[in-house]
Amino acid sequence: MSGLVLKDISKRFGNFAAVSHVDLSVPHGTFVCMLGPSGCGKTTLLRMIAGLDEPSEGAILLDGADITPIPTHKRNLGMVFQSLALFPHLNVGENIAYPLRIRGIAKEDQKKRVDELLQMIHLQGYGERPVSKLSGGQRQRVAIARALALSPKLFLLDEPLSALDAKLREAMQVELRQLQQRLGITTIVVTHDQREAMTMADTVVVMNGGEIRQAASPVDIYRNPSDTFVADFIGSTNLLEISADSASRATFLGKPVAGLALPAGLAKASVSIRPEDVHLTAPGGDAIDGTITFIRDLGGTIETFVDVSGQSIVAVSTPRARPEVSVGQKVGVVLPHEACVVLKR
Amino acid sequence: MRREPPRTLTDYGPLFFPAAMLTIFFVVPFGTMIAVSFFQRQQGGFYTPAFVWSNYERFLSAFFANVLGFSLMLSIAVAICCLVLALPFTYLLTRMSRRAQVLWLVGLLSILSLSEVITGFAWSTLFSRTAGITNLLVAIGIMDSPRALTPSLGAVLTGMVYQAFPYTVLVLYPALVRLDPTLTEAARTLGASPLRAFFNVVVPALRNTIVATLIMVFIFALGSYLLPQILGRPQHWTLSVLITDQAIYQSNMPFAAAMAVFLVLVTLALVALTLFLGRKGEAA
Amino acid sequence: MDEIQNRVSRRAVLGAGVAGAAMLAMPSVLRAQDKSLKIGVYGGYFKDSFDKNIFPDFTKATGIAVESVAEPTGEAWLVQLEQAARAGQAPADVSMMSQVAMLKGQATDLWTPLDMAKIPNSGNLIDRFVNKYPDGRVAGIGAVAWYITLVTNTDTYKEAPDSWAAFWDKANEDKLGLLALVSNSFLLEVTAKTFFGGTDALSTEEGLLKAFDKLAEVKPNVRLWYRDEAQFEQALKSGEIPMGQYYHDVTGLAAADGNPVRSTFPKEGGIQDSGCWALSRASKKSEEAHIFINYMSQPTIQATLSRKVGTAPTVRRELLDLTDKEFSAVSSDIEPIIPRYDLYQSKSDWLNQKWTELIVG
Repeated sequence: MSGLVLKDISKRFGNFAAVSHVDLSVPHGTFVCMLGPSGCGKTTLLRMIAGLDEPSEGAILLDGADITPIPTHKRNLGMVFQSLALFPHLNVGENIAYPLRIRGIAKEDQKKRVDELLQMIHLQGYGERPVSKLSGGQRQRVAIARALALSPKLFLLDEPLSALDAKLREAMQVELRQLQQRLGITTIVVTHDQREAMTMADTVVVMNGGEIRQAASPVDIYRNPSDTFVADFIGSTNLLEISADSASRATFLGKPVAGLALPAGLAKASVSIRPEDVHLTAPGGDAIDGTITFIRDLGGTIETFVDVSGQSIVAVSTPRARPEVSVGQKVGVVLPHEACVVLKR
Repeated sequence: MRREPPRTLTDYGPLFFPAAMLTIFFVVPFGTMIAVSFFQRQQGGFYTPAFVWSNYERFLSAFFANVLGFSLMLSIAVAICCLVLALPFTYLLTRMSRRAQVLWLVGLLSILSLSEVITGFAWSTLFSRTAGITNLLVAIGIMDSPRALTPSLGAVLTGMVYQAFPYTVLVLYPALVRLDPTLTEAARTLGASPLRAFFNVVVPALRNTIVATLIMVFIFALGSYLLPQILGRPQHWTLSVLITDQAIYQSNMPFAAAMAVFLVLVTLALVALTLFLGRKGEAA
Repeated sequence: MDEIQNRVSRRAVLGAGVAGAAMLAMPSVLRAQDKSLKIGVYGGYFKDSFDKNIFPDFTKATGIAVESVAEPTGEAWLVQLEQAARAGQAPADVSMMSQVAMLKGQATDLWTPLDMAKIPNSGNLIDRFVNKYPDGRVAGIGAVAWYITLVTNTDTYKEAPDSWAAFWDKANEDKLGLLALVSNSFLLEVTAKTFFGGTDALSTEEGLLKAFDKLAEVKPNVRLWYRDEAQFEQALKSGEIPMGQYYHDVTGLAAADGNPVRSTFPKEGGIQDSGCWALSRASKKSEEAHIFINYMSQPTIQATLSRKVGTAPTVRRELLDLTDKEFSAVSSDIEPIIPRYDLYQSKSDWLNQKWTELIVG
């Protein structure tokens, strides 16, 4: 198939398994974000794709060909490093022209391509500048232009935006996504910032402990996390302990959750429900009784913390959609079954 | 904190210590040497304070020009050999595990603890016909009969490179450790082979360090006077050997001082030239 | 051979005895604090031997404590003594000095003239071992003498060469180890004696140039011009450099240790060099120094030196109780080549320049 395929990739450093048994297929032109806490193996995986680390096991296929034994410099890829790794002894234009020079491309063609790329990153006329005279965002763009100079098949970025301040980072996320869509290049970004992943990716790959926990579209990852780790790691969520009663209905603290059933044979499970799906009503009836312990009014949204028999449940709503409540007040918590995701424990 | 110009004597206090050290360890000895170089030599004895140019006149001859030229060339060759060997070595060293790095560095430091005499003797044995490495080559059938490799220019060069190598590594090491490893990785992802990445990225990024290292090894080699005697023929003797002869064996301090002053001046001129060219190269 | 080995082992036994005696003598050294003498002797083997075999007996005999100072060979010590004397200091009161150093010291009046009346034993000396200022004052008294001879590796040369001319033999290409300095190799004298009828040929500049030209023919045969004695000794023992000039006494000891080396007195004679006892003008121990020099000039002490240290005696042979065997271990009846020390004083820079150009050029 066309695109990138990882087949049962593992990487061990001594006794430590940095990546274990990863399978992933990235169709051509897809934007993939690898997301996970630090040490989860995402960077190691990216480096193996780049050829900078060698997998202990498994194979990497690009457009059907096994590229595992091919050294980095023959893989035809572009990579942006966290440090950017711009060459300090070269100016902007020379940095961008470096891969062209290596391939022995004619001087005039080099110049033409560099001008094109400078235009693409909105840095026309910056070719002669030393890289040390650029701002963080400009350097970022030079690194991207350099990586794309040869129109590679694969575009890899390792925490590319982490050095930028929050505002610039958000702007660059949009810019990067637009650039990728315009070029239609298969792109893999490693990040620990879920917002960044949600903004840019076609597919988010959540990793933990060297394994892929879920690979799906951002909405799917958010709405249907495959396990408690993903549910907890992506956005904020309420993870509730559910048990099945005699009629295999789901109950939370002894109270049935209307319309929710556990899969047959499962006596206990976790349920993930996003705070914005939790409704607050008057106590009594089908609702679960609780007491408000804290209210965080963020202006745009209000988070209400409810204590239910020692367990804290968070509900989020816009100010207008929320009943007037105050700390210490007794409320009823409603968990709509369609918003509940049942997860094995 | 505002910086105010120093007003009282105590404000200059922090300057005293470095100034005193500089005076004691540099200005006074060098000044003495310059003074002595103008003194009148008493043949068969010592010298009397005077101001004569005869010591410099004696030095200005084709013979000493040749010796000086050879000394400079030898030192340049040593500096280049050391750099060519030590740069890749240190580069690979910084990419080893911490443990391996420590072991190598301890090993290199222990070479420094050997005196020049011991180094010289060890190499002269290794290069000898009777007990040297050629016997090994004979044993494995590469050579027909053992041969003496010393005295020769190659032996002198080897000994001096061996001696300066640890210094070279120790000077290069901090710069290479600080060098961002992703620079070469970036070059590789951009299509450069590891070797090419080394020359395209590591070498230029370390340009100033490399120039400093060359100068250091050059000056270090220029002062060497035992190894050329032990491992070389008389035509491989450096100016330092002749200076030692004059100072120690002929007790001709004025002439020795004149030669030393000349050597220092030529060295400074060469270093200045190197730095000047380096700056110009950077500007271009 | 047996004789020398005997001698060595005897020295070892004696050494142990001396160490014991030295410990017993400690209190007397302390008591005799005001009567003491700092004596400079070449560091290493010489100093060790003197410390073991000579100085303790001297202290016992005279009550003068000795502090021996290791002096470097060459003229470094002369430079130090001279510079110290200018500052009124004497790093050693009495020093053993080479003949060239004696002459150079004379030029600056470094040596306190010795009062021969206080050194009655000086009558025992061979005349040439009394070093005099041009005006006749005595600058130094011969301490020890030694020979530089033609040495060979016995594995490489089955037959001992009998003439210095062997150095010029084309068959010996790249086989020689010679001393690197004009003032310690004395090769000009060897050349003059071997080819031009004697060292008098060096009295004119023309004669010197002729000797230099002749000496230039040796160059292709020289593998090593050495300053460091150990380097040549090692190479001679291993056969790496199988021929050269070296010290007769040390070569004898090396042969006694079983090394395949031999020292030969060529028919032109060995080079006899010697050291003088000389008193620094900055020393305040003139009295003690005269006692020491007188003590050292006794035939018995000279014989002891020959037996224990391996030096050639500076007193006339008929006064010594050395057997023929003992005598030939340190000396020879062949008329020696006496270096032209005067040249190294009057023409030292010219000779040095010519010499350096000869071997380096």
